[in-house]
Amino acid sequence: MGEAIVVTSGKGGVGKTTTTANLGTALALQGKKVCLIDTDIGLRNLDVVLGLENRIIYDLVDVVEGRCRVNQALVKDKRFEDRLFLLPAAQTADKLAVSPEQMKELVTDLKREYDYILIDCPAGIEQGYQNAVAGADRAIVVTTPEISAVRDADRIIGLLEQEEGIEAPKLIINRIKRHLMDSGEALDVNEITTHLSIDLLGIVMDDENVISSSNKGEPVVLNPANRAATGYRNIARRILGESVPLMSMDEQKKGLFGKLKSLFSK
Amino acid sequence: MTQVTKKQLVMIKGTKSGLVLRLDDQCAYSELLSELEQKVREEALEGTTEIQLHLGNRYCTDEQVKELINCVQKSPHLRVTKVQGDVIRVEECNRLIKENQSETFVGIVRSGQVVQAEGDLVIIGDVNPNGKAIANGNIFVLGRLKGIAHAGAGGNLDAVIAASWLEATHLMIADKVETMTDELTILSERPEMECAYIHRNGFIAIDRLQELRILRPNLSTFKGGS
Repeated sequence: MGEAIVVTSGKGGVGKTTTTANLGTALALQGKKVCLIDTDIGLRNLDVVLGLENRIIYDLVDVVEGRCRVNQALVKDKRFEDRLFLLPAAQTADKLAVSPEQMKELVTDLKREYDYILIDCPAGIEQGYQNAVAGADRAIVVTTPEISAVRDADRIIGLLEQEEGIEAPKLIINRIKRHLMDSGEALDVNEITTHLSIDLLGIVMDDENVISSSNKGEPVVLNPANRAATGYRNIARRILGESVPLMSMDEQKKGLFGKLKSLFSK
Repeated sequence: MTQVTKKQLVMIKGTKSGLVLRLDDQCAYSELLSELEQKVREEALEGTTEIQLHLGNRYCTDEQVKELINCVQKSPHLRVTKVQGDVIRVEECNRLIKENQSETFVGIVRSGQVVQAEGDLVIIGDVNPNGKAIANGNIFVLGRLKGIAHAGAGGNLDAVIAASWLEATHLMIADKVETMTDELTILSERPEMECAYIHRNGFIAIDRLQELRILRPNLSTFKGGS
């Protein structure tokens, strides 16, 4: 029996879809069987980020309305043999086309076959959010070091905590710009975690390659040298239950000597 | 048959602060009212005398109380200052118990959430921005108050808000509102262990928690000890 994890944020544009795509890919790289569900009906784009757009035949709404079987709608990512699948959202319907009960049923069905089901939640706290959360066992809240994103994260955590059957949500801080945090212009990791008082699942550094690789349809996590990829890979390992230390934000700049120096200066 | 001296239904007692009318609580209400009327007419007083009405074990509705007061105040020399009874309704009793109780919330009041209490409210945890704590009594936050707090929501001007870390966006006490403008927060750069109350000037003021002892001595319900 697999586990369903919803990726949500409240605010739009903080990187829910990118996070879902990259975590799904990272989990598949670890040998897990993963199914991604895009619940952003009407504004789908998880398929684009994964480069699977032109392979979609049926979608989520077709499945819940019985026009096809689930397996017919699932799009296989050929890069990972039989380990990564996507259930795309419909683009022509709206969020009301699916009900939370239907979603719950669907996710329960999929949990039998997959190790992990990652549900990409739309922005907002309306029906789309409720659909996404309905079948989830765990929740990941994505935020960025901006006040507006943190406020919305706080709201969504409040809602998630009231939801029955979901574990306490975990936090990902995305798009960290080192120099802005150092200068105090952006909220720092500690500040955000104490403010929201939930467990930190991981941090992801801001990196230009995230955008370019998303545009190419190749999740950035496939490139192990990338610093954002390291963040995502660490998070995937934590999801699997490993304890991985939080990556240091200045790893990129320091060489071996710098690391030694910082060890001694502690 | 000789006439038995009728039991006095309205007993009059003089005190330093005026007259106390002790009203019989066993007779019919109408009898009581007529005797009260009679007694008031008999009074020959000058100036104004302050009257206290003691109802004993009789439960009077608000209308009846009003009627009794009007009855006494028909005389231009009498003014009712206080009506006191030994009985209240169960509902009222429950309300009073609730108002004097303290409720405890353990957790974080997050954006969009509202925590409400009939009496005092103790929050163990933070109140995040756009989270709201409302109480008819006082609000005590063991944690950071970063959202909105409304104490004395039923109109109690003596209510206070105290927090380990008071950096609320809005403070409300009874019908007073204070948005935490910069000037106000600048007063204390470290808003630690502070309380908000309605100052004599009618505005909400912020002071050190320790000052509550002097500002609101009645807050303490502690008895005994040494």
